[in-house]
Amino acid sequence: MKILDKSKLKDLLNSLSGEAQVFAPVNEDDVIKFQPWTDGKEVDLSSNALLPPKDLLFPQTETMYRYTTKGMKAEVAEVAAGSEKQVIFAIRPCDVRSFLMMDDVFLTKGYEDDYYKNKRDNTILISLGCKDPEPTCFCDSMGIDKSESEHADIVMFDLGEQLALDAKTDAGKALLDSLSELEDGSADKPDTAECIIKVEPQGLAEKLAKMFEHPYWEELSRKCIGCGACTYLCPTCHCFDIRRKNVGEEGFQFRCWDSCMFSEYTRMAGGHNPRPSKKERVRNRFLHKLQYFPERYDKVACVGCGRCLAKCPVNMDITRIIKELGEVAVNE
Amino acid sequence: MSEPAKKQLEEHPLVPVTGIVTKIIDETPDVKTFHIKFENGRPFTPMPGQVAMLSLLSIGEAMFSVRIVDEDHLEFSLKKTGIVTDALHEIEEGQEVGVRGPYGNGFPVDLCKGKDMLFIGMGIGLAPVRTMIYHCINNREDYGKMQIVYGARSPQDLVFKEDLLENWHEVPNCSVDVTVDRGDDEWTGSVDFVPPFVEKLAPKPENTIAIICGPPIGIKFTLPVMEKLGFTNDQIITTLEMRMKCGIGKCGRCNIGSCYVCLDGPVFSLEQLKTMPNEY
Repeated sequence: MKILDKSKLKDLLNSLSGEAQVFAPVNEDDVIKFQPWTDGKEVDLSSNALLPPKDLLFPQTETMYRYTTKGMKAEVAEVAAGSEKQVIFAIRPCDVRSFLMMDDVFLTKGYEDDYYKNKRDNTILISLGCKDPEPTCFCDSMGIDKSESEHADIVMFDLGEQLALDAKTDAGKALLDSLSELEDGSADKPDTAECIIKVEPQGLAEKLAKMFEHPYWEELSRKCIGCGACTYLCPTCHCFDIRRKNVGEEGFQFRCWDSCMFSEYTRMAGGHNPRPSKKERVRNRFLHKLQYFPERYDKVACVGCGRCLAKCPVNMDITRIIKELGEVAVNE
Repeated sequence: MSEPAKKQLEEHPLVPVTGIVTKIIDETPDVKTFHIKFENGRPFTPMPGQVAMLSLLSIGEAMFSVRIVDEDHLEFSLKKTGIVTDALHEIEEGQEVGVRGPYGNGFPVDLCKGKDMLFIGMGIGLAPVRTMIYHCINNREDYGKMQIVYGARSPQDLVFKEDLLENWHEVPNCSVDVTVDRGDDEWTGSVDFVPPFVEKLAPKPENTIAIICGPPIGIKFTLPVMEKLGFTNDQIITTLEMRMKCGIGKCGRCNIGSCYVCLDGPVFSLEQLKTMPNEY
């Protein structure tokens, strides 16, 4: 284990920046966001970032390839190249867990998405254990140990005046050994408070498989305004659109985040839409999280970060929905 | 077949290879067939029923049934329906287009071996069915009797006329029955909707697999007829369509329950569909 005096945090980040692009939670206008680290920025470790760091592996817009078209000629000019090395500093255990779900989506079931893989393989995760969860956090219920992230390269603990860092992978160890700002030491893992919200999503998938036609969905969807903020903030939402931009004879194909809450998302040529109203779209979103994803990848697609329930403009609350789904009667 | 192109599609599954449209066949007023030639041989060998993304690079891409013509050519047949197909209907021979794939599961060619095959196509739904019909023709000894039933809105809307009215009549142990919803002065064939037409033809269910593709409304009214004729859900196979972007089960939108149509479909048995949410 290595110890860092918090007064040397900037030095540490500057050293890390020598090897890779560092992304760290920075407070700007009262919003904490993962930002490219440059000397002079203030790291804010007080609470989790408003936006999850998923865009560092799966950018909001990402060029896939360039092409040229001229008359009848068409040529794919350049496949977007690999990625630079990056370090995500002070990523929380819930967001680390979300990367495992991204891995399931982008790297398994027969196809590896090379855009995602390039970034994933070049990313080092330095996680920060949580001591005081937000009132909207419920990661405990999703089986996440918020004190320590088992899937980060380096786990970090906040000791007050100091940070403790412990390597979990070879890459993490090599990185820690290279940093002269760190001193050998030992420390007890700090105590962590329990999340206030508790839910029990385990076993819900089987019940939901019988609930597709249940009137609950119609009732639930009335409140939703279909803004898509939940999908934007969610660290496990991974849907994307593929579009293109033409400038004269040149153009590029890119992908960008999309949302299952929008009607165009499933609207087909000719006008047919299998999910034409909010009812179908809200139902699909929650069934995807709680039934479809568990059926496909054996994980509930929610990490309990609480972002969606903190920011939904009409107070749709996935924890309340999980509770209600557990309680409603189902006709066998 | 071109190994470098195949390798490119494996390494970069979302990036197309380009080919040149060498032949455009006007099937009907709103359906055209495109033959696409690839310089060093076709980039992949689709199984019957598999699909591929066809693109005009500056316009966009969409998923269609794809068929092998020969070593160098792939074939797509498309109905003019949306932005991409509208644009593709305007192109001329010589146009370069993008293709990536193949995607999806394809028809269960091995499961069908030794069986009599009933093919029911409606409208452009004959395109996927036709890939399997050609597979059976090319491997004639592996399959029993072939029975092809096709329906279109009008005589002008008949697709693949050469196959329907000539070629397939020469296939041994194969029947072809064609009907239209509305006839015209020259049409001497059957005038009937597909469901009652199938009922009158009364295909036997014994040791038979039925492949039914067409617009959802056509399939919906044909299924009760099949049930009446004694076909069970595991004997009926169809293909589904959903909006697709990636084709490799990542972008999310083509799910029906926990199934992705691009990856786990587009071919499903009626037995499978009965276990899935009715949302397609």
